[in-house]
Amino acid sequence: MAQNSWVDQLKPSLPDGPSTLAHERGGSSIDVDAFAQHVLGGEYLQRQQQVLEILQKEKVFSKEKQANLSRPERYMLGLARGKRMRQLQDKHGWSDDDHEMAKYLVDEISPFQLQNTMFRQTLREQTDEAQRAYWLRRCEDWDIVGAYAQTELGHGSNVQGVETTATWDQSTKEFVIHSPTLTASKWWNGTLGKTANHAVVIAQLMLPDPSAPTTGKTRFKSFGPHPFIVQVRDMKSHLPLEGVVVGDIGAKFGYDSMDNAYMLMNQVSALLARYSAVDPETGAYRAPENRAVVYGSLTHARKRIVMAARLMLARAVTVAIRYCAVRRQFKSKDNPGAEHESSVLDYTTVQIRLFPLLATGFALHYSGKVMGEVYDRTRSAVEEEGNLSNLIDLHSLSSGLKSLSTELATSGIETARRAMGGHGFGGETGLIGLSRDYLSKPTVEGDNWMITQQMARYLLKKAKLIVSQPGLKPSNRTESTLAQYWQINCDKKLPRTSRPLDVLNSDSDIVAAFEHRSSFLTFQAYEASEVHGKGYDKLMIRLHDLSNAQSEAILVYNFYDQLSADTKLPFSTKQVIWKLFRLFALFTMSKHSRDFERSGAVPKRDLDALADDHLVDIMASIRPHAVSIVDSWKFPDYLLNR
Amino acid sequence: MPAPNPDWVKALKPSGPQGSELLEQERARSDLNVDQLATFLFTDEVLNRRAKILEILQSDPVFDKSQNYFRGRTERLEAALGRAKALRQLSVKHQWSEEEYYAANELISEPTPYGLHDAMFLKTLKEQGTPQQHELFLKRAEKYEIIGCYAQTELGHGSNVRGLETTATWNPEDKTFTLHSPHLTASKWWIGSLGKAANHAVVVAQLILNGKSFGPHPFIVQIRDFKTHEALPDIHVGDIGPKFGYNTMDNGFLLFNHVKVPHVNLLSRFSGVDPNTGKYLRPANPALIYGTLTFIRSSIVLQSGSVLARGVTIATRYCAVRRQFQDHDAEDGKGENQVLNYTMVQHRILPLLAASYALHFTGRAMFDIYNANQKRMSQQRLTKDTNRGAGPEELNPSSDLLADLHAISCALKAFASTTAAEGLEVCRRACGGHGYSAFSGIGTWYADYLPTVTWEGDNYMLTQQVSRYLLKAARAVLSGKAPDNSISQVLKEYIRRQDIGAAFDILENDEDLVHAFAWRVAYLTFEALKHRDEEKRPWNDLLIDFWRLSTAYSQYLVVKYFYEALQSEQTKASLDANTLALIRKLFQLFALHHLQSHASEFFTSGATTVRQIQLARTKRTLALLHEVRPHAVRLVDSWKFPDWQLDSSLGRYDGKVYEDMFHRASQENLLNDVVIDPYPDSPVLFRKGPKPKL
Repeated sequence: MAQNSWVDQLKPSLPDGPSTLAHERGGSSIDVDAFAQHVLGGEYLQRQQQVLEILQKEKVFSKEKQANLSRPERYMLGLARGKRMRQLQDKHGWSDDDHEMAKYLVDEISPFQLQNTMFRQTLREQTDEAQRAYWLRRCEDWDIVGAYAQTELGHGSNVQGVETTATWDQSTKEFVIHSPTLTASKWWNGTLGKTANHAVVIAQLMLPDPSAPTTGKTRFKSFGPHPFIVQVRDMKSHLPLEGVVVGDIGAKFGYDSMDNAYMLMNQVSALLARYSAVDPETGAYRAPENRAVVYGSLTHARKRIVMAARLMLARAVTVAIRYCAVRRQFKSKDNPGAEHESSVLDYTTVQIRLFPLLATGFALHYSGKVMGEVYDRTRSAVEEEGNLSNLIDLHSLSSGLKSLSTELATSGIETARRAMGGHGFGGETGLIGLSRDYLSKPTVEGDNWMITQQMARYLLKKAKLIVSQPGLKPSNRTESTLAQYWQINCDKKLPRTSRPLDVLNSDSDIVAAFEHRSSFLTFQAYEASEVHGKGYDKLMIRLHDLSNAQSEAILVYNFYDQLSADTKLPFSTKQVIWKLFRLFALFTMSKHSRDFERSGAVPKRDLDALADDHLVDIMASIRPHAVSIVDSWKFPDYLLNR
Repeated sequence: MPAPNPDWVKALKPSGPQGSELLEQERARSDLNVDQLATFLFTDEVLNRRAKILEILQSDPVFDKSQNYFRGRTERLEAALGRAKALRQLSVKHQWSEEEYYAANELISEPTPYGLHDAMFLKTLKEQGTPQQHELFLKRAEKYEIIGCYAQTELGHGSNVRGLETTATWNPEDKTFTLHSPHLTASKWWIGSLGKAANHAVVVAQLILNGKSFGPHPFIVQIRDFKTHEALPDIHVGDIGPKFGYNTMDNGFLLFNHVKVPHVNLLSRFSGVDPNTGKYLRPANPALIYGTLTFIRSSIVLQSGSVLARGVTIATRYCAVRRQFQDHDAEDGKGENQVLNYTMVQHRILPLLAASYALHFTGRAMFDIYNANQKRMSQQRLTKDTNRGAGPEELNPSSDLLADLHAISCALKAFASTTAAEGLEVCRRACGGHGYSAFSGIGTWYADYLPTVTWEGDNYMLTQQVSRYLLKAARAVLSGKAPDNSISQVLKEYIRRQDIGAAFDILENDEDLVHAFAWRVAYLTFEALKHRDEEKRPWNDLLIDFWRLSTAYSQYLVVKYFYEALQSEQTKASLDANTLALIRKLFQLFALHHLQSHASEFFTSGATTVRQIQLARTKRTLALLHEVRPHAVRLVDSWKFPDWQLDSSLGRYDGKVYEDMFHRASQENLLNDVVIDPYPDSPVLFRKGPKPKL
């Protein structure tokens, strides 16, 4: 490219970005390192540093030009990176955590993703011992490259409805996989489009119907979706095997480096994972013994989603806050004589968009952390004593939390992008790829609007329990909160709290207000469904709102509990985090002020005060620390710079 | 291209019932007269014109869309340039009018590198150039000899035009201006058509006379050579790189190193420099300059309805074809339920369907006001110049149609574009997992639309101007000096009834529903006025209140215009009673939906009671969703989007969603030509097929 020397000599007009940010950092008393230790931990920070150094030396991981590439080029680059990543793992003896960190920093989905995750996990968890020894070793040695094929063109959320069949052939003692319709085509399955030579395929297990007459043609009956191991491409030529039509599904909103697949199968032989489930002599089904409860691992997975949401959101907010501090536009209306234009971050209309998001990142952090700890603590309790109550409680609540946190993160990323004005649309923000890749989250692994129903139904069940057994001893926080509410409000007069709450001055009252509102909505929904017999379909929207209300209560009480329990943070730093707590909680409260008023949790005059001044005042007190707070997330420029 | 699918694949059908059957059923269960409604929305003339142009475009391979979703940035720009050229040729060949040319652009549905030449460049030359300048530049520009762009925004300054850093200094000795970029942040940035296409630019720069700045002025500057199309000396120009969307446009940067242009290159219809004395000639009526901006904002409002309708069309059709799970309360053995039957899906899509209609009527009303104003201004121009020295928001709001128009266009631009942009993402998500595929047709559309919320006045910035207007109007009302325009009436009515109370019947009476929105605006206006004038609160602390106020005002306007459109005689004469009743339900759905989302403002202001809001939510809205549901597909059909325009597998008119998805993935996807080597230790990446260089 041609360059002109006079261009190289141009500087931004003053005050420039570095001096503005230095000034911002000088104006805050926050201890950034202590804050980073508190949120991320020393081990994490050290790992980030080590892995980053290795990656930055590798040319293939340079992000400079990737946004200009076409789709096949993006995939090719992803493949090259995937291969290199695998080599680095061996070379440096990376642990799983190191590898996770590297993937996070490279910040692009690898075409090998499913080989490392669902394919391997299914081989490990859903197979018989002998199968496991054979297949898992081949997978871990990279003899085979595998994918996981569950969703179909016609079915996503409803797994029971998959149309692909796997029919038992008594003569060969094998299964034959088949796609009877076009909608049976596997669809969206990562790593399968171009990369994998094997796949775990979810198909309806078709066995001879035991209740059918034994003479004549065998009648088959479905025993529901099961995982099968299928070879899909030739080990040498890498071309699809006979009867397999497989390929990449084409352009998407994001995820360009991944080869999401379609796949149709015409009578292809397959192996049932856990083959002991079918008697090879008779083709009869043997129901599996109940395996150890899966709640734990699901909760663990959701913890990871919440923790990832926190980082994605924090990243977008980091970029936006730094940029808005540097960006100046117009002189202040209240101070027209000012020397420079105002930093955009001084505008309250910018603050109201960014600061609540800044606080949300921390709210997600504390709940994610608690989920992880409860998981670790109770896993042993489950195995030893079989006490599931707390874990089930957390699991049910975590479905709503997954929904709310990914929702907050996706909309937050976009809000942060728009807060940057026109430049937010450009490639230089580093938010384009982030936003586009992350946008898949609200609809994958349980559509957000679907899984909130699980959470709400759990709450309704608890309400029913409490109404029917008034003296019951509560076994977890949700039950005791609901029981307490019911004790005061079972007379069904105007809803009220046990004592008046002062949310403007008391942090613990804020927590109480959120739990009260959630209980109120729970019993309202309970009343509509159980007492007035409203149809489920009519209640869905309300249940969705209920789930979000409960999730907000969880975010608020975990934030409060965790911060109260901390003993290590320097005083002035902790004071600022308390402000973030208040901002998150009160901003959320203000958004749903009607709920808080009619549930009797917060009087109208307090809600008016919130909307009028209180939030603006909190934001003003956070403003000097904004840049230091985002610094505490310690995002390397390599990650932000994509 | 990938090899054809084997015969057994070609023989496969989606499992029943087929998408085409489901959409047929949908259309059969509603008696809405689609053609009548479409005629009412667009007129037959527009629809016929669109059909005629569509035919021409579809028969030309340069407009083939099948590879749009697969191409990289450079290839996309190349294709778009080819289309821009072809479109210009067709336009000459068929003698297209401006409307026809825009209709063609809409059908193609992607920005082209001629975009800014067609819109801003020609318009600026026309409106701000003198007859001499028209002769010199405009004529050649209209013939596409000069290809131009409009270079205002800089790296360091967007909304604050007064803060631009590029300078144009007058040299009395040779009667020229020197254009210069003193800082890196002075670089022009984001300028459409500048990156690659343009050879000229209208450059907005600080006019410096005798060492003194006279503010930003437009200069026409040649930037590339007519023959080689390379940048001229001391001009550094190029494309700014990949963006969130809009990747078929060459948004550019531009820096000047002391570049001289002759005196005639300052566009000086309204203001200028005397070439002999070097004296500044002041603009006669600066408000005229705001005319262009108001026009652009009004156009954004007008387009927003159909921008959103496109997403709603796709989501509605797909959700009618997509079936997932059995209904909870259904008997066993029933098939899976259409996703559109779930209230959770209706709750997301149908209010947006209503919003698309609401915005359509609002856009029309907006243009009526715009045209009325144009007419009056041209009359005024004939009589005499009023010689005002201030921008429109500084004028007396209630006596001046221009001030009304300016405030209304700011408020509605912000609300309409936010509603459309956010609505599109809701539609995309309502399509579930498949919404993430490019073949949904929503993703690219959304990404290309997104800059609308930050350009032509950032949507948050604009709310300040609206609030300033409302505060002024309120002060005028309180001092008894307000004239009888629409906003003063609202404010006066509030004052009159303040002590009597409101008691609007929002659930039964449509007019009362409009009144409730008006009441809330008045309440918020006087609250803001109290904060500012009595409590003397700093402007910055009130920005959030202002944003809420402006949103409330916009919603009131939309509700009001929608209501008025339903009341008009022309509407009643054009639509049969059933259709009219159905559109009325959309009106109620739209209004109640927004009333609930801002419930606290409605009950705090006393416009409604908490009980009313509760009933609206639990009873009335749900009833409306059920009543609108059977007509949903026909209501989106009435927008008459050709499939070619939608370019969407999910939104196809015939419901063949799955067939189309499979076809595009397997037959139009170049990646499927490729065979790879999957093993990490092998350096080979692509074994067969095109091998890109990284």
